[in-house]
Amino acid sequence: MDMKVSKKKLGLKERYRLMTRDLGWDTTYQPKDKVLPYVGYEGIKIHDWDKWEDPFRLTMDSYWKYQAEKERKFYAIIDAHAQNNGHLNLTDARYLSALKIFLQAISPGEYAAHKGFARVGREFPGVGTQVACQMQAIDEIRHAQTQIHAMSNYNRYYNGFHAFADQRDRIWYTSVARSFFDDAMSAGPFEFMIAIGFSFEYVLTNLLFVPFMSGAAYNGDMATVTFGFSAQSDEARHMTLGLECIKFMLEQDPANVPIVQGWIDKWFWRGFRVLGLVSTMMDYMLPKRVMSWREAWNIYGVENGGALFKDLARYGITPPKGWDDAEKGIDHMSHQFMLGLYQWSFGTAFHSWIPSDEDMAWLSAKYPDTFDKHYRPRWNHIRKLAAAGTPFKNYGLAKLCQTCQLPTVFTEPDDPTLTCHRETTYKGEKYHFCSDGCQHIFDNEPEKYIQAWLPMPQLFQDPIKGDLGEWMKWVSLIDGKDNGDYAGSEDQQHFEAWRGLATTNQ
Amino acid sequence: MSYELTIQPLGQTIAIEDGQTILDAALRAGIYLPHACCHGLCATCKVQVADGEVEHGEASSFALMDFERDAGKCLACCATAHSDLVIEAEIDEDPDAENLPVQDFSGVVSRIETLTPTIKGVWIRLEAPIRFQAGQYVNLNLPGGIGSRAFSLASPPSAGGEVELNVRSVPGGQGTAYVHDTLQVGERIGISGPYGRFFVKKSARTPVLLMAGGSGLSSPRSMILDLLEEGFALPITLIYGQRSRDELYYHDEFVALAAQHPNFRYVPALSHEPEGSGWTGFRGFVHEAAKAAFDNDFRGNKAYLCGPPLMIDACITTLMQGRLFERDIYTEKFISAADAQQVKSPLFKAI
Repeated sequence: MDMKVSKKKLGLKERYRLMTRDLGWDTTYQPKDKVLPYVGYEGIKIHDWDKWEDPFRLTMDSYWKYQAEKERKFYAIIDAHAQNNGHLNLTDARYLSALKIFLQAISPGEYAAHKGFARVGREFPGVGTQVACQMQAIDEIRHAQTQIHAMSNYNRYYNGFHAFADQRDRIWYTSVARSFFDDAMSAGPFEFMIAIGFSFEYVLTNLLFVPFMSGAAYNGDMATVTFGFSAQSDEARHMTLGLECIKFMLEQDPANVPIVQGWIDKWFWRGFRVLGLVSTMMDYMLPKRVMSWREAWNIYGVENGGALFKDLARYGITPPKGWDDAEKGIDHMSHQFMLGLYQWSFGTAFHSWIPSDEDMAWLSAKYPDTFDKHYRPRWNHIRKLAAAGTPFKNYGLAKLCQTCQLPTVFTEPDDPTLTCHRETTYKGEKYHFCSDGCQHIFDNEPEKYIQAWLPMPQLFQDPIKGDLGEWMKWVSLIDGKDNGDYAGSEDQQHFEAWRGLATTNQ
Repeated sequence: MSYELTIQPLGQTIAIEDGQTILDAALRAGIYLPHACCHGLCATCKVQVADGEVEHGEASSFALMDFERDAGKCLACCATAHSDLVIEAEIDEDPDAENLPVQDFSGVVSRIETLTPTIKGVWIRLEAPIRFQAGQYVNLNLPGGIGSRAFSLASPPSAGGEVELNVRSVPGGQGTAYVHDTLQVGERIGISGPYGRFFVKKSARTPVLLMAGGSGLSSPRSMILDLLEEGFALPITLIYGQRSRDELYYHDEFVALAAQHPNFRYVPALSHEPEGSGWTGFRGFVHEAAKAAFDNDFRGNKAYLCGPPLMIDACITTLMQGRLFERDIYTEKFISAADAQQVKSPLFKAI
């Protein structure tokens, strides 16, 4: 008996190759390195661009078809959500603080990623790489747009959504994310791929999007959930591209290994600092919580990250330098960050609040080793001050880390009672850091980071000149509406009144 | 109720049970299909249904859109069969795969030899010769409700009329205990096969590096005998490890082959041979012997690994540090449903 003979046709891979690789051409009237001048200076050696395995295998014509269909579905659901007063299905308007932070800090990051991929798509010589980066560039701008559209309906009813772009550029707590993307976009093409394609899309995306999208689902925000589903079908491609890029670099030349290791160390720590925002959203801002930040870290950081670094070890890559310090910070960071946000809440375009008894019982159960010992007493003190009519406000200016740009609110890895602070003097100027990780990043490229724009020094410059009211105008923050405690805010009053109208006969 | 699932471009046909997903059926048959989330959200496992009816299951309407359903796409991780199926998946066509059909063969045990204190050689004379590619395996059907056990064929394809299996006794193992203690010459026994996609990529025309340990010698031995018989002229290296000299079966045969064929190099390695035993060969593990033999530079080879998981793992690391990567490394490995569920990074697919 012989095997069944089936009609011979081109495999998907072969078809894909013909539809992409054959689009490439060799330059004739300019040498190739003049046309593609940026691939060399980072020191990454590539001997054979054809060894790049295309992880996407998606051709442009089908790409447009897919994305168009996704848009149609997405906007149908968003419209229904808006028309049916979907915002009144939220568990509680406190949830909106998480959404506002996401819109101000993370959605603009998608746009930055779009610009970055458009640029590196132009800078890489390989056709496979060019096509992959081009598609991801379009994905990212679509993500930015659909996120903004998904949240725009809330802007009709609630404060703090109206000026996310100004706040992305100018306010203090978003600059951790902004500087992450600015740093990546001003790096070379290979480093950009490690920063966004690998660190952000692979190592950090699960910690960012999974808790956030589950948080949306748990708290009745169907608009954001729909965005999540629509984006998730792209994320798998993005992760694969990041992993393919890192394998490609590591396999092309042994001299690439230490360079890539340096970038992994750097971008892990930069990403980890961005996650400070996420930890706080998860532990404090979701009325109905999904899991604690610690639980999310155990799954997506320790388990998945651990499996990845075990595989990367075959190439001679070791886990990121800041990994142990990160682990030591997990049980502290959300509390330290929320305390920071609360005491400076006059300067945030979202509301914060003192956790309730029930919130504190949950935090204590999720953080048995740290919450009752270090953070409950502080919240109790803050609560006492609020009850006495003298709420705790810190009108001092925070010392910012020159690298991650967060206030230096985090503690020493081995001593949670001592604020961590590092200093480097460079060309006669003193620079401050929140951690060893951020200091190492600066010390490695001081000329880059001394140029960083920081939100605090800006306060004393034109047009603000140290005036808080002028600063609020400059960051488009409306005092008494966008900022301060949730208790007594317009958001709280409106949500309760409207929900009351929707659910009672009053 | 089960259906036939044909996977293109491999041209391989496997069984798919009622309610079993396409992905599960493929993985259990040793066919890797790209996949990631395993619950219908990420669309990594999207395949084209060329023929037949599927039920889409839990596939998300964003990951698998209506126009794609209309165009016959499905997500392998969610889709189940409602008829015989032909799917087209994104897998690399393998020019070296002969895609031989699996068949049942009956035969008689013609010879049993004690190769080492723990390994028996079993020869089965078949009623009709089996066609297989060197490196493939068969299922041996054992009586008394034991069921079938998989063994690589240790003899070359040219000797398809009488196949050789090397069976290590596994402590507490019912199947290997039967082979070691009960099986007799003259006994009727059945096999089915050939299975597996572990064979030499002859079309690549690169030197062949085989790394074997424990009872993993069968496939490499069949491959070597096959290559030498057909006059393969490029270098062939066998790095072969055992704990001690008395476990190093077929040592003399390989020494003789190396003397006969200038392109065949034989590097035996013993990890636990007593000091002062007179062993003059390499002492240490397979990966250490390979690193020394190749001076830590494996570029330009294709490597075939066969042996216990720890050995495979150590060998892959050594090969990669010696600049040989996934596309040139082949292992005899099955991806079970349990593998698909365990936390594993997606960095590597086939190793």
